[in-house]
Amino acid sequence: MSAAEQRSEPRVDGSLDDVIRNSELILTCGPGGVGKTTTAAALGVAAARAGRKTVVVTVDPARRLADALGLDGSVEADEPHRVKGVTKRTTDGELWALMLDAEQTFDRLVREQAGSRKQADAVLNNPVYQAISGSLSGAQEYMAVERLHQLHVSGDWDLVIVDTPPSRHAIDLLEAPDRLVGFLSHPVYRTLTVGQRTFAKITDAASSMFLWAVKRLAGPQIVEDTIEFFRSLANIEGGLRRRAKEVSRLLRGDLTSFVVVSSPRAEAVGEAEHLLDAIHEKGFPLGGLVVNLIHPLPIELSDDDVELLADLGDGPLADHLGWHRELTHLAQAERHEIQTLEKLAADATVIELPLLDVDIHDVPGLVDLADRLV
Amino acid sequence: MVVAGKGGVGSSTVAAAVALAAARDGADVLFISVDGRPGMGPLLGGREINDREQTLQRLDGGGKIRARTIPADQAFGDYLELKGVGGLLRRAASAASLPMIAAATPGLEHLLVLGKVKELEKDGRADLIVVDAPPAGHAAPFLRSASGLSDVVKSGPVLDQAREVSEMLADPQRCAALLVALPEETPITEVIELANDLGDDLGIALLPLVVNACWPDRTGLAKTPAMAARSHKLKLTDTAKTALESAAAFGRSRLEQQREQLDRLADERSEHVITLPRLATPRIDGDDLVELADALVEQGATKTPDADSEGADR
Repeated sequence: MSAAEQRSEPRVDGSLDDVIRNSELILTCGPGGVGKTTTAAALGVAAARAGRKTVVVTVDPARRLADALGLDGSVEADEPHRVKGVTKRTTDGELWALMLDAEQTFDRLVREQAGSRKQADAVLNNPVYQAISGSLSGAQEYMAVERLHQLHVSGDWDLVIVDTPPSRHAIDLLEAPDRLVGFLSHPVYRTLTVGQRTFAKITDAASSMFLWAVKRLAGPQIVEDTIEFFRSLANIEGGLRRRAKEVSRLLRGDLTSFVVVSSPRAEAVGEAEHLLDAIHEKGFPLGGLVVNLIHPLPIELSDDDVELLADLGDGPLADHLGWHRELTHLAQAERHEIQTLEKLAADATVIELPLLDVDIHDVPGLVDLADRLV
Repeated sequence: MVVAGKGGVGSSTVAAAVALAAARDGADVLFISVDGRPGMGPLLGGREINDREQTLQRLDGGGKIRARTIPADQAFGDYLELKGVGGLLRRAASAASLPMIAAATPGLEHLLVLGKVKELEKDGRADLIVVDAPPAGHAAPFLRSASGLSDVVKSGPVLDQAREVSEMLADPQRCAALLVALPEETPITEVIELANDLGDDLGIALLPLVVNACWPDRTGLAKTPAMAARSHKLKLTDTAKTALESAAAFGRSRLEQQREQLDRLADERSEHVITLPRLATPRIDGDDLVELADALVEQGATKTPDADSEGADR
């Protein structure tokens, strides 16, 4: 690497080495479009090369990154697949990748919590369940943390890394288990599932109004299906509730690290700030902050050179000068934006990564990024 | 007009620039931020946007920009009222609360929001409605909610609503989508998929594709600083050469990637492509927005594929 290139590298403050060696769970979160999935994959590479058996759970990887992880269209969703080409030395661990399938995770959760196959089937075969398991608001977020829990307790893995779904309100993820409990505690839900045997016997005012409203709005069939669904869910409710609490506890435990990923653009910084605040406030363990996609800061021109190059007129050197000025301005403004984030990260590690010439979409690219992270 | 793009490509900023361009042209524009992201109101010259309609900016020539968000629960209440649903059902709905009803009818929240947009459009309350669609992976499910719901809900007003929203989305005289990307590999791949999804599958008319944040093409960068200096009859100091080259190396590779990706987009999609300049700031302000609006107008962003209709959502 030339001296010039070295000079234009952003500052690297620390390393996530400690996080990938000592955590059992890592969650990457942050605004969309900042390289969150790539960061999660690179942390996985780093952990595997540090000797740990690691699985990376992703939600919606860009296609070429998915290919690099061996998650192309031909593999089954929701099953871990070994990532090739990452671990070669005998001291290396293993890297596996898994594409989250919210519906399958939900199905598995229902089966685990049901007392019998019959109870499970009653939920799984309900048309309302089938419609909502993939699309219930917050279901994706909850299933991401639920899958994390499943993998964690399986005992198969030293480290589970979950790349959280893109969400402008990334807080949704942190509160997803609590929201499920809230849903199960809703008074209408309670009346619908407790006691009465038939729709006709439901006399509670709020609940009968609810059913009437759904019927008027969406037709009678969906009302029957909804009641059936809530009833069948009642059998597994205790389990769901316990599980949601366990997951919530796990997210706050010592073995978990949150890694917030952002870019230096103002809107991403705003969202990341919001997220860091929430992480502090709700007592989640912050492992580090990665600021990605930072423009390189060019070497400064000396005052003499600037004077020499004043009043150039048009021409190729004017292009050079204009570009140098613009890139310098942008790179400096970005560094200014990042300062706020650094303050909020407090004692956590901050890693600043340059905007690379090409997107990372192969294993060597991930290995290179892994080296920068640890 | 619906403006959509994956997270981080600047689709909200582009939506704001479109609103500004139309208002400068004398149009009465209603800007709808679906998720109410902060900062958009000030960017458009007013206060933060909330669920009550407010005028953000009046322009010379009679145009203006109004704005609001549409929270799903409010859309629900308005919808019931509109349908002449009496007090009892309205009370029932509020007793049950939207989340419970939404759980029973998936996609309902999106549909309610789109349904409200449809009502505003039908009333002719604005010359142009610009909808800043939800970001990240949510734009397609958002626009798909109408057709998705028809699979689950077999009767009742929700089905009617879904039908009417689908009709609006598929009518090029009333609605068109402006899709936004960045000149980088992954965003270009994703905008191609989004265009296939919304345009080809859902039948939504597509406006030109916008590639945001393109670096201006500086041909002089192809030369080394020393060579470039010779054409100006100048000799550079070694320090100046090193300094300029430290910026140029990065610039060349970005420009090359940008050209490749723009070519790929042109190969894959037949829509006209508009390139917006990359602004040398991480924080877009009102002046920057004017610059983007100028570029959009210059390159014909607000013309629908159907040359006779003006803009969208009239």
